[in-house]
Amino acid sequence: MYQVIGRRLLQSIPMLLFISIVCFALIKFAPGDPVQSFVTPNMKPEDVERMRHSLGLDQPNYVQYFLWLKHLLTGDFGYSLVNNRPVLEQIVTRLPATVGLMGASLVIAVILAIPLGMIAALNRNRFVDKLLNLISYVGISIPTFWLSILLIYVFAVQLHLLPSMGMRTIGQDSFLDIVKHAVLPCIVLSFSFLSVYIRYVRSNTIGQLKEDYVQIQYAFGSSKLRILFRHVMKNVLLPIITLLGMSFGDLITGAIITETVFSWPGLGSLGVTAAFGFDYPIIMGITMFSSLMLIVGNLLADILYSVVDPRIKV
Amino acid sequence: MRKRTIFTSALIALTLVTSACSKQETAPQASPAGSPAASAAAQSGTPKNGGSLVMAVTTDPEVINPIYAGDRTTLTIDQALFAPLFQINDGKKTFYLADSLTASPDFLTYTLKLKNNLTWHDGQKLTADDVVFTIEKILDEKQHSFLRSSFIIGDKPVQVKKVDDTTVEFKLPQVTAAFEGALVQVFPIPKHIFENEADIEKSDKNNKPVGSGPFKFKEYKQGEYVALDRFDGYFGGKPHLDSVIYRVAKDPNASNLALQNGEINLKLIDPQDYKKINDTGKFTTIPYFEGRLAYMVFNLNIDALKKKEVRQAIAYALDKKQIIEASYTSLDFADPAPSILTPDTLYQAKDINPYNTDVNKAKELLKAAGADKLKLRLAYINSNKAQTSQALYVQQKLKEVGIEVELQPLDSAAFSKKALNKDNKDFDISFGGYIMGFEPDAYKSLYVSTEQYNYSHYSNKDFDTLWNQAAIETDTAKRAELYKKIQQVVADEMTVYPIAYTKSIIAIDKKYDGLKEAVTKPVVMFEDLSKIFIK
Repeated sequence: MYQVIGRRLLQSIPMLLFISIVCFALIKFAPGDPVQSFVTPNMKPEDVERMRHSLGLDQPNYVQYFLWLKHLLTGDFGYSLVNNRPVLEQIVTRLPATVGLMGASLVIAVILAIPLGMIAALNRNRFVDKLLNLISYVGISIPTFWLSILLIYVFAVQLHLLPSMGMRTIGQDSFLDIVKHAVLPCIVLSFSFLSVYIRYVRSNTIGQLKEDYVQIQYAFGSSKLRILFRHVMKNVLLPIITLLGMSFGDLITGAIITETVFSWPGLGSLGVTAAFGFDYPIIMGITMFSSLMLIVGNLLADILYSVVDPRIKV
Repeated sequence: MRKRTIFTSALIALTLVTSACSKQETAPQASPAGSPAASAAAQSGTPKNGGSLVMAVTTDPEVINPIYAGDRTTLTIDQALFAPLFQINDGKKTFYLADSLTASPDFLTYTLKLKNNLTWHDGQKLTADDVVFTIEKILDEKQHSFLRSSFIIGDKPVQVKKVDDTTVEFKLPQVTAAFEGALVQVFPIPKHIFENEADIEKSDKNNKPVGSGPFKFKEYKQGEYVALDRFDGYFGGKPHLDSVIYRVAKDPNASNLALQNGEINLKLIDPQDYKKINDTGKFTTIPYFEGRLAYMVFNLNIDALKKKEVRQAIAYALDKKQIIEASYTSLDFADPAPSILTPDTLYQAKDINPYNTDVNKAKELLKAAGADKLKLRLAYINSNKAQTSQALYVQQKLKEVGIEVELQPLDSAAFSKKALNKDNKDFDISFGGYIMGFEPDAYKSLYVSTEQYNYSHYSNKDFDTLWNQAAIETDTAKRAELYKKIQQVVADEMTVYPIAYTKSIIAIDKKYDGLKEAVTKPVVMFEDLSKIFIK
């Protein structure tokens, strides 16, 4: 098992390298020049060129890439072009906020999606199924920013039950305060994940209920609940594990809109600011983290597969 | 490593854009009588102490150091953290750290006298050494301060030396009327903090800045807020508020709701949100001029636009009031602009041809120029709501005089790239905006033929000479005459069509007072936050 994990991690190196080349090329081919966004009309051309030189932007693109890569291999993600702070420090500072929010949202979505999806499957084409379908369709189609604004208006502005923005009340640093701030963004994100997951669980459960092993259990007189939770659930979980594995990348960048609307101090909002400012060290840093998480997520999903269904080998 | 300019912030956060704009601090505008600002001013009562003020900012600060600050957020925070030497409002100096600034009769030497007993937030004395150090670091090529160009006159640096603890002398390599405009941008940094730093821009010490302004640094949480506490040793008197907090709120709709919810006390709002916010009755709303011009520029690289009559015809075909109503909702939030210089700029001429709408004249001019069936491409930034409205208006209005306009909404980066190309022929007309400050010489970079930001590509040696003469003319009357000629040339040649002097709108919770004394200020909202208090 460990050998397999080691081999898979080694295999991810060329993948990460490829991603970094594509990402760097996209940034460089995009219209816009980081230096132009720093200069003022009053600056003399030689000052602008000095600035370009100091940023290393006067070098050919491939040289810039290899320099970036060289530093990365020594653990140096470079400095932001905009605020001069180390990229790694900024990512690490904001990582818990994003991972916490996305992690909590994913867990809530999965915990709710499994029973709700199964209930929908058991009540196929009945009122409950249609209601859950409707909720699911609404959740998939509703724009995140619209739902966010609506929740803020109702729960913060009208009912004064929850804060509308940020991760904490200024001057407070309690866990409860953070939870209070996380409620609304978490609802938005969970609703979005939940709507997708319910559909998966429902269709998988319907498929599983037709399998022979379920009919045999019925023949042996097992109760519906026992069949569902003891036998069917395991099989239903498999596609959810795949989805969760794929969602690992989202842990870093999946909440861009939600973070922006709720002023949540995570990586999503950092990425947006970096994109506007052509701050390529930050963009590259976030992309690398996100890609790594996606690779790790897929690996974990494969391992979990073998745990849930021993017939499957990693 | 570098700071984004106000120009870039404006690109993202405001409605203007693209062209260029200086980082120069500009003078606040007097609010017109009967305006919301005037009513806010009338409310000022007896100052009380205590409480805090939460201001919304749209981004995190960049490098919290005034020799690098160029974006709206950092400049706003620096305004409370650091004190300037002096500011210029409506052409008059308001002295802060400085007590006086005297020019020698030949205008080659300026003597700056500091106030006595100035201190930094850490208790150290602020002296002439700090001012000299700041200027030296600005001039040091290795420090990459964007202010450096302002202190290089005719390829030579300004020389600075300490005379005594409170006196600094500046020697100019040649006469320039723009020197005070350069000095007004200087907010000294502490020598005792930075003297051993090889690269000030990358110094960790910027993360815990020590300034001399009314509020001192308390904490910064990335992506969340910057908190400042009252500085009791402020030379201008103890501030009334205990603290000021700059809260990062990127989404304008969400931050408007946070304002209504009381989580934010002060923010800039869009004209479209003015009525909604004002109608709550909970806020004092203050529209004020930011010294910003929204304009349309003609690309003279295009053959069809090389004829002056065509450009003038387009100007006559449009109605600035209608453009303002279409893009800024009402004339309360922008004034029609006759000149390329904004009202806060020195020597703005009042009697420039405003090109009042005259469709018949426009048609005659087009006919005379042989441009009956003209087709033009109008470029603007697609994310800019005001420019989008302007473009639709111009397209419709020019159709009335027989000009077909093809709209080219572009991403801001793509737009800038094309606009900065000296041989640009990708579009014929485009929209832009700038804030250039009180010193008219700063506008040179947008109009002189050899300059990068000469978006019209208009080239006229006599016109360039006028700019150069005005820069070194020390006689006020003669200088005013030169700038008047410059404004007339632009209007006659119609290379740039000034549309509107736009306003920004501050919304602040009604519990705050002292707003008149705090003085509205372009970009940073208020010049002196120490004067604001809770009623």
